[in-house]
Amino acid sequence: MTPLGRSSYRVAVVGAGIVGLYTAYHLARAGAGPILVVDRGFLSSGASGRNGGGVRQQWETRATVRLAREAVEAYRRFGRDFGYNIWFRQGGYLFLAETDAELGRLRTVHDLVRSEGLPSEVLDPDAIGRLVPGIAPRAVRGGTYLHTDGTLHPFPAVWGVYEAVRALGVEVALGVEARGVERAAGRLAGLVTSAGTVAVPSVVNAAGGWSGDFSRSAELEVPNVATRHEILATEALKPFLDPMIVRPSDGLYFSQTMRGEIVGGLTVPHPTGTSAGVPSSPRFLASMSRALVRLFPQLGALRVLRAWSGYYDDTPDGLPIVGEDPRLPGFVHANGFGGHGFMLAPASSRRVALAVLGERSDLDPTLFSPARFLGPRSAPAVERLQLG
Amino acid sequence: MGGKTGRRFAYGRRTFEARDGESLLDAIARARVPILGRSLRYHRPRGPVCGVGQCAGCLVRVNDRPNVRACRHRVGDGDRVEGQNAWPSPRFDVGGAIDLVFPGGIDTLHGFRRPAWAKGLYQRVVRHLAGYGPLPGAAASAAWTGPPDERSVEVVVVGAGASGRAAAERLVALGRRPLVLDRGLGPLAIPGADVLPATTVTFLPPPTTGADRPFSLIAYTEPARGVRVSAGSVIAATGAYDGGLLFGDGDRPGILSADLAVTLSDAGRPSPFHEAIVVGGGERARAVVERLDGAVGSVIAPGEISPELTRAASDRGIPLYPRSLLLRALGRARVRGLSARSRGNGTPFYLSGDAIVLAHRRLPNAQLFFQAGARMHWRAGGAAYYPVVDPSGGTSVPGLFAVGDAAGILAPFAAESGVRAAEAIVASPAAREPLARVEEGGRAELEGYYRELLAQPRPGRWIACPCEDVLLGEVEEASRAGYRGIEVVKRYSNLGTGTCQGRYCLPEALLILSLLEGRPPNEVGYITQRPPVVPTPIAALAALDARAGEAAP
Repeated sequence: MTPLGRSSYRVAVVGAGIVGLYTAYHLARAGAGPILVVDRGFLSSGASGRNGGGVRQQWETRATVRLAREAVEAYRRFGRDFGYNIWFRQGGYLFLAETDAELGRLRTVHDLVRSEGLPSEVLDPDAIGRLVPGIAPRAVRGGTYLHTDGTLHPFPAVWGVYEAVRALGVEVALGVEARGVERAAGRLAGLVTSAGTVAVPSVVNAAGGWSGDFSRSAELEVPNVATRHEILATEALKPFLDPMIVRPSDGLYFSQTMRGEIVGGLTVPHPTGTSAGVPSSPRFLASMSRALVRLFPQLGALRVLRAWSGYYDDTPDGLPIVGEDPRLPGFVHANGFGGHGFMLAPASSRRVALAVLGERSDLDPTLFSPARFLGPRSAPAVERLQLG
Repeated sequence: MGGKTGRRFAYGRRTFEARDGESLLDAIARARVPILGRSLRYHRPRGPVCGVGQCAGCLVRVNDRPNVRACRHRVGDGDRVEGQNAWPSPRFDVGGAIDLVFPGGIDTLHGFRRPAWAKGLYQRVVRHLAGYGPLPGAAASAAWTGPPDERSVEVVVVGAGASGRAAAERLVALGRRPLVLDRGLGPLAIPGADVLPATTVTFLPPPTTGADRPFSLIAYTEPARGVRVSAGSVIAATGAYDGGLLFGDGDRPGILSADLAVTLSDAGRPSPFHEAIVVGGGERARAVVERLDGAVGSVIAPGEISPELTRAASDRGIPLYPRSLLLRALGRARVRGLSARSRGNGTPFYLSGDAIVLAHRRLPNAQLFFQAGARMHWRAGGAAYYPVVDPSGGTSVPGLFAVGDAAGILAPFAAESGVRAAEAIVASPAAREPLARVEEGGRAELEGYYRELLAQPRPGRWIACPCEDVLLGEVEEASRAGYRGIEVVKRYSNLGTGTCQGRYCLPEALLILSLLEGRPPNEVGYITQRPPVVPTPIAALAALDARAGEAAP
């Protein structure tokens, strides 16, 4: 076990995924002082190394549309800022509806996205067929499309921010597990890790699928649920698919990476919690394959090369939890991204850094604060659409 | 020779003839086509390596279906076969210029970022350079859809080699009726047993506890029929394969596994090579020298050469080069020789030859044991992970048995291990002595070999991962940048993410990283063995979905 470099820090971030690393990056740039990032696994062992690489700006709430738009700008600049090529390709996101009701929900999102100045379009089945030749026309009723959404290669994004924070003096301790916190005078005073306890007044919980576990280890009841999701990748072909395709009705999504592989997933029910590890299931392989063939029959001749799984960190209202926990001053949440951490991290992490430093940010506390789940009337009464 | 001729297939602009039931690879090899396609990144010539469905060397497009392994495809009359990632032909490929223009490699991690206005152009070019051929037409997929083959049996035997066959025969003798699955394309008959030839098991999840038939394995029959087998017990006789070796231009066509070399020079057909350089110093190399009688030019070994091999070679007048560093394969379109040097900074020397046959070590096909959650252990003698087994072959997963090469059981005891597993399933066996296995202790001989090799100048292109054209230099760069462990280096370099799923790069990479990181190979970690074991058609998997029979929307 590598011992930690110091006995006290200004901030400790739990989780060296894209959310935690970006948070450390913004903190270090703001001159916050000594920063420690701990992660129980290796770099990119969690969802940041297991996601499909999609980045979209079509969201159900105005605040997330804005965050996502900012994230897209950050990813466009990533090569200049961080020295790594993440191959962010803006091939668009195409949401598919199978029924009129589903199409109606997509239109609501479309109206919101357009009102934010983004060029979203509603497509009929013919237009979808022109955009993605190969989609079975009978399988769709219509869809929405935003051509500035895109996909990126997640690993170099992790390497880039990791190397940047280290260059800024942040200590990143891999293979070190956060096990709890220490309190003094009603606020947070220390972080207990497998490599020892350090004195620190602020801890950011950016542990992804394990963030619920970590909050509870700090005796904070939270609604986060770790949900296992599976992905498969096929052998590589020449480019034939530009947009990421998403079907909210069954959670099907897939895109073609820069390497030419089809990478995608589908929602199949699994027991929740992190105790089962990240195995693959025969049920997912079969259901996903069937969904692909029914929507896009030519994909039947492709071969599945790999499959893997990872955790979504889900919340009851489908929105992340960002901000200081009112029950424990110093304990800051940056979690609950529900599989969308990569889409928002560059933007949301700036607000997390502000929260750590005690500064005001433009985030709507009724939407994102952990306080929304406390008290008798939890979760604001806004009807939300789950885009998947 | 047997079998009537008359199956004609087109390869490029030429027409070839195949014998009945022959694999495409055999037919092509007889016709001496050395280059089947080009590699993904640098468009380097690719030819068959393993011949047993493990490598990515023989991928071709057959009747519009991409990435068909020539060794797994039984030639059909009128088949249209095309080389992949090559224009106008695998032999003369314009893209091959990339290999010459970028001697230092292409850095897709840091490169192609500037100027900002050119990023879209870079993306289009790089995207079009990636991947094997276009999306197949609708006809190629439609021909595949069909009902799955669903079975429920007491015992399933995976693999019909010496140990699997012995297990099945013993089960029959004990009054059971096992189901035997085997990847081979040839006829498969075991009296009293059910058989499924040309069938590959791709996924063996951990058993469901408490169920009558706790195992549910997924397989597919070539070309694309889904197979699901529920079983009370599984005997995995998945065998072993000839491991790769890292040297300069070590991905040239004509560098073959011992398995493929033996197949190609089987009696009754002209051998495609006449002066093979056999790599290896032990029992496997000795067997190859005897089988390839007359077609072997020299024997070179990273370590010592056994007295038995020395005798077999001397009898045939074949020169021996023990304790040698293999530096670089010579020849472009196919192998013409090998440059090497004696270990301990000895003299450089050259061997001429028209094939390099890898027979230096056998590696177990252990993926199913990893998938099923069996306890594994690192055996330094084989520099690989093997399942932990009791004297009957029982693994830590009740009902799952490992026999033969896959369990590291040494050659003369393979059949005996199959018999023991069969008896253990039928009745509780008496206490037995364990069978001789690959050594547990000591250090992998190849670690010392690679330590010496990495200190040498390295001429030629050192391809650490032939499927994805990952260079050894990229692995070293990851290590220099502070990325430790095989899982991270895999994500950093793409090593092990291609068609062979790490079979030809991972074992070597573990040894190299162990040197770079200064810790034993088993601490460098291991890539999680995920399904599918081999690339599996989406159409075959789709048929296994519970709702597959329902009508389309």
